[in-house]
Formats: sequence, C-alpha cells, structure tokens
Amino acid sequence: MDSPVLPAPPDHSAALEDRRISRRTILKLGAVGLPCLASSSLIFDWLTRLTTVPATPNAEPIVANYDPTAHRWGFVVDTDRCIGCGLCVVACKDENNVPKEPEYSRTWVERHTTTADGVVHVDSPAGGINGFEAAIDPAVIGGSPVTGARFVPRLCMQCENPPCVAVCPVGATYRTPDGVILVDQDRCIGCGYCVVACPYGARYLVPAGGDAPRGTPGVADKCTFCYHRITVGRRPACVEACPVGARRFGDLDDPDSDASIALRGKPTKVLKAALGTNPRVHYIGLDGEAGA
Amino acid sequence: MITVSVAGRRVPLSPSIVVRTARAEVARTPRLLKAWYGLLLVLMGFGAAGAVQTIAPGAESFGTSPSFEWGILIGAYVFFAITTSGLCLASSLGTVFGIDMFLPLEKRHAILAVLTLTTAFGIIALDLHYPLRMAFGAVFNPSFSSPMWWMGAFYAGYLGFLLVEVWSLFTGHDQVHRWACLASSCTAVVAPSTLGAVFAVLFMRSYWYGLFTPLTMVVTALLGGSALLGIVFYVVVRLRLAGFERGRRMAIPAVRILLVVGLAGSIALLGRSLLAGLTSDDAAMHGATMALLNGPLAIWFWLRVGGGLALPLVLLALPRTRTIGGTALAAGLAFVGVLIDRLLFVIAGQIIPTTAVGGVVSQGFNAYTPSLVEISIVAGAFGLVAFVYTLAERYLDLSESDVHIGFRLPAWAVRARTRMLARARLVVRLPLRRPVEASETEGAR
Repeated sequence: MDSPVLPAPPDHSAALEDRRISRRTILKLGAVGLPCLASSSLIFDWLTRLTTVPATPNAEPIVANYDPTAHRWGFVVDTDRCIGCGLCVVACKDENNVPKEPEYSRTWVERHTTTADGVVHVDSPAGGINGFEAAIDPAVIGGSPVTGARFVPRLCMQCENPPCVAVCPVGATYRTPDGVILVDQDRCIGCGYCVVACPYGARYLVPAGGDAPRGTPGVADKCTFCYHRITVGRRPACVEACPVGARRFGDLDDPDSDASIALRGKPTKVLKAALGTNPRVHYIGLDGEAGA
Repeated sequence: MITVSVAGRRVPLSPSIVVRTARAEVARTPRLLKAWYGLLLVLMGFGAAGAVQTIAPGAESFGTSPSFEWGILIGAYVFFAITTSGLCLASSLGTVFGIDMFLPLEKRHAILAVLTLTTAFGIIALDLHYPLRMAFGAVFNPSFSSPMWWMGAFYAGYLGFLLVEVWSLFTGHDQVHRWACLASSCTAVVAPSTLGAVFAVLFMRSYWYGLFTPLTMVVTALLGGSALLGIVFYVVVRLRLAGFERGRRMAIPAVRILLVVGLAGSIALLGRSLLAGLTSDDAAMHGATMALLNGPLAIWFWLRVGGGLALPLVLLALPRTRTIGGTALAAGLAFVGVLIDRLLFVIAGQIIPTTAVGGVVSQGFNAYTPSLVEISIVAGAFGLVAFVYTLAERYLDLSESDVHIGFRLPAWAVRARTRMLARARLVVRLPLRRPVEASETEGAR
C-alpha cells in the first residue's frame, strides 16, 4: 500500500471566479434537483396508490354470445365437507393441461392440522393429488398432540382488487367484467412479477413441454374457474369432480345458484382478508384458522 | 471501397487491412493484458454458453420455481442497474454541481454507466422468456399501474440520456453535454427509486414492502457506483493510464468520501431493517430477518456485513490504511458486498412460503439453489463489462478536462469554496508529490 499521503485540493479558483450564474439558472437547478431528491418517497407513494386501484377490464369476452356483464361468478369452499381425496386436483390437471409436477397447480389441497399448543401446521404432499396418508408426518406437527385437522382446497381467489393485474407491465393479466382474472398468454412476457405478487401462491410460469398452452411455454398460468366451461353454461371441472360437494360455484347475482345458497347457509370467510384483495372465493369452516 | 478517417487521412477499409491491423495490435498488446483479455474471454464464453441455454422459453435451466420465481438473475439485474445509477450519482457532483474533486469521475463514469446498464438490460432479457414481447408490449400496450413498466421507462430514458452524454462528451458539444448530465443525474435518482418500488409495492412480501426499499436502492446505488469507480481509478493510477495524476489527486479522495457516505448510509438502513424485522409481528418479515441472521442465508449475510460494510469502513477510517491501496481494497470489498446484498435482498423476500403447494410449509423456508446456467450468465456479465471497459480504456481518450463542467456555482458559493480550499490547504500542508506535467495527463495507454 502507498504511504498515507493526503492529496492537496486542486486550485481552480482563478478559473472559477469568472464563472457567473444567473438567478434563473439557480432556480432551474433547484426546480429540477429538489424534486429529484424527494422522489424516492413520492414515487413509492404514487405507485402504491396506483397499484391499489381496482383494475378495469381491457379485453373482449373470449366466447361469442356470452355476456360477461350479466354474471358475477363466485366460489365457495366448504372445508367441513372436504375429505382431501384430491380428485379435484386430478380433474383440473386433466381439463386444463396443467403440468403433472405438484409445484405447477391451478388448484391443490392443503391439510391444516391444529395441535394442542394452538399452532396450525400446513402440509400438502404432491399438492394433494394423491390424497393424504391418515398418519401425519411427525416432522410437520413437531410431536405435539393433534386436536383437529381439516382439508383446505386452494385456487386462485379471483380477487376484486387483484395485485397481479395491477403489477403486470404489459396488461397481459386482466379482469373480466364477470370477475374472473385471465391471462392473455400471447401477450405475457414471462417476467414472473404476477407470480411474485400473488399473496395466495396461485400462479406459475408454464414450463416447456407438452403442457404448454398453445405452444407458449414460459408464460403465466392460473385457475380461471374453467372459463371455457362456465361461459357455455357448465361448471368448473373441479366442482364437477368433487364427490362430496365441497366446492360450490355459481353466479352471485343469482340467488338460486349453488354459490349463493352456500353463502347464505353458513358463515364464511376469505383468505388473508387483511390484505384488502377482496377474494371471490369464500371458505366455510375456517373460523379461528391462523395463517389462512 | 469503404474508407475511414484516421487523423484526418482517408484510409481504405478492407478485410485484409482489418485483419492485418488486428494482428499488429495483438502483437503490440502486452503479455499481461493478453492474459487479462483471455480470462475475460473465458468468462464471456462461459456466460454465452449459459445464455444459449435460456433462449428456449420455459426451458428449466434456472433453479427457480413457482414459490421462488425470482433468482440471482433478477438480483444481478438489480445490481448492475443500481451500479449504473450510482456511477451517475457520484459523477453528478462534478458534472451538475460543479464540485471540482468529482470532475475526474466524468468520462470513466459515463463509459461504465453505459456498459453496466446495457449489461443489466441483457441479463433481464435472458431472464424474461419473451423480451421482444416486452419491448412491443411496453410501447403499444403500456400498463401505467405497474411499477415495472415505469422502471423500464425510466431506465430506457436513462440509457438515452447516457448515450447523449457520452456522445457529447467525446465530441465536445458542451451545451448538450450539460443538459444530458443534468437529465441523466436526475434519472439516476428516479430510476433506482422506481426499481425499489417494483419490490416495495408488493404488500404481500413484507420483507420488500415499504418506503425504505426505494431509499435503500438509492443509497446502495451510490455505494456500488462509488466502489466501482474506486476500483477503476486504482487501476488507472497504478498503471499510470490516461489522466492518472488527476485521478490520484482528485478522483481517489472523491471516491473515498463517497464510499464513506454510502457505507454509513447502508449501515444505518441495514440497522433499521434488522430492527424492524426482529420486532415485527409479521411472520414473513420476521422469518426473512431470522433467515438472514441465523438461517440459511446467515453465512452470506455476515460475510456482507463484515467484509462488505464493516471492513471497508475501517479501512477508510484508519489513517494507516487511508491510502490509494487501502481505498481500492475498501472499494473492492464494498463492491462485492453490494452484489451479495442485492442477491440476498431478492432471495430473502421470497424465502418465507406463502402456500403449501406441493409440500410442507410449517416453519420452513422456500428452497432455491442457483443453476449453473444462472451462475454462468452472471459471471459472463462481469466478464463482458470488464472486457469492453478495458478496450475503452485502451483505445479511447479518457483523460479529463475542466471543459465539461456542468452548471456554474453562484459567486458566493465560489468565494466560500475558495476560502474553504485555502483553509484546507493550510491545515493539511501536504503538497503534491511532484508537480503535474502536461505529459502525465496523456498517460501511458
């Protein structure tokens, strides 16, 4: 290393003396510089407000003769009924060409096990596609006595205030007038921002291979309530596959729909309500569930 | 026949002439420099091999997963993007605010800024599966609610300003240069802030969420950019490259000040983040903090704290190590520290599971191991920046002059500064080691 010699400051005073600056230039410099210095907080505040504004639909309905403004689709999951058989997961994967690997799932089933110490433990082996072993892995519950357990099917919450729509930089993710969040896979750039932004972990980027929708791997995919089915009067594949009626679907504007009837029957709650995303998927039987 | 103008003479440009010139140049290149080129070419080849693997969209060449969607490529993009901004922030003190000691940072900063920003764009293009869709989508179907769109817009504008800045710098368009410097300096604050906002608006990711994330990006940018300048100017002074005397007298002390400011700011913000994490009731925030302090990220975290923050600050604080070599070592450590810091930032934000899809989540951490492809791309990116910069250092005139001073200070500020400099000279009483000669500014390129 060099010896510790502090360099002398340069002498530019003579050259600088003749440099004069007008008041106007000072004002211009201040007008530009000060806002820049304060921009960190302002930008954050501004973008936060932007991203909390409900998104507006920007796409045409994908099915002819279907009026999306005439419906308000909703979903009710009855955890009191779910037996964790995983048939819904199988049906979804078959119907929507979802990759077989468990980390790529439009819907999956979790087991929430409550132990004597009041802690809720969550596991979902292979996304629940093969059902669940009766004995719970001690590594999951930490050896504490089990006081209760229930199966909690998961899927996209079709939020009314969806973070995934707000953050997409090219508008590839959008919300239809009937309340379903869709992905335009011909427009998606595969940045993964929506995957990271989803509070419910309901999205993934499609891997390469035979499962890629329309031959476009690397794009975002998620549950659509089986939009191709519900727009022609059918129910989502998982709802049809459920043997115990734990998944209820229908038009929330129609008082006689399955979903409306289920909502009237028992108290429901939504997942992570504190985030303000206003999910369209409601849960029966999750009262007191931490971490839901 | 195509001709080029060299020193006022028209020279025919044919393949044989190009080959002959290249051969002569290779023969003239010092052996050590050839070895350096060789090392960088190997790194670049490694990176290119990795980049080829990512071209097919959806190919599982990354170690990422749906529960850990952003890996080290996003971290490296953030690192290069903020380094660009830091370079501009450092040089703006000379180019915009006219502070003398920061003036020698100008030409080298401009070259490095363009290089690091284009490298950042290259990395993000490889990480994205459809970069062309992004370019067209961002223009023809913009989503103004997306922080990512704004980040792209600001960084694209920033690249434009930087290119104008470089062009005007080397062609002597002083008036254009002043405004380009001002514009790029303003964008150098706005762009990393918006990059911070890309993470900061994600309320479901508590570790990223909040006002302090954009601020941390800006401070880290200053540290990263200053550290890179410190490394470069050490090499310039050691190898007596163009303008080395000005670099020794002015740039190294300027970098020293900037490093201290950047390190102090980073330590303060890190302390705040740890305090907030440890006292938080939020599982993700608390869990991410514990993962850093005592979990799977602890080794890297403490390496960053000890080697990337504390040690550089000590090196800069102790009179014994407050030398050119000491400053360079501090800069190198801080530079690596910023890289680790940004990678940890990206990883820690995703380490707490949000769902149980495909596995067990209770009290667990999401797992992510970077693939060889990802590592090769990051290594190749560093090789590319170093290679092109070495060429610039060798073939461009990077000696600085006062011509490019940006905006003039008011008379009272000039008088105050003159008095301050005079006082400083009285106190320090350390003359230059030897008089500056005109020939020195030419350097030994």
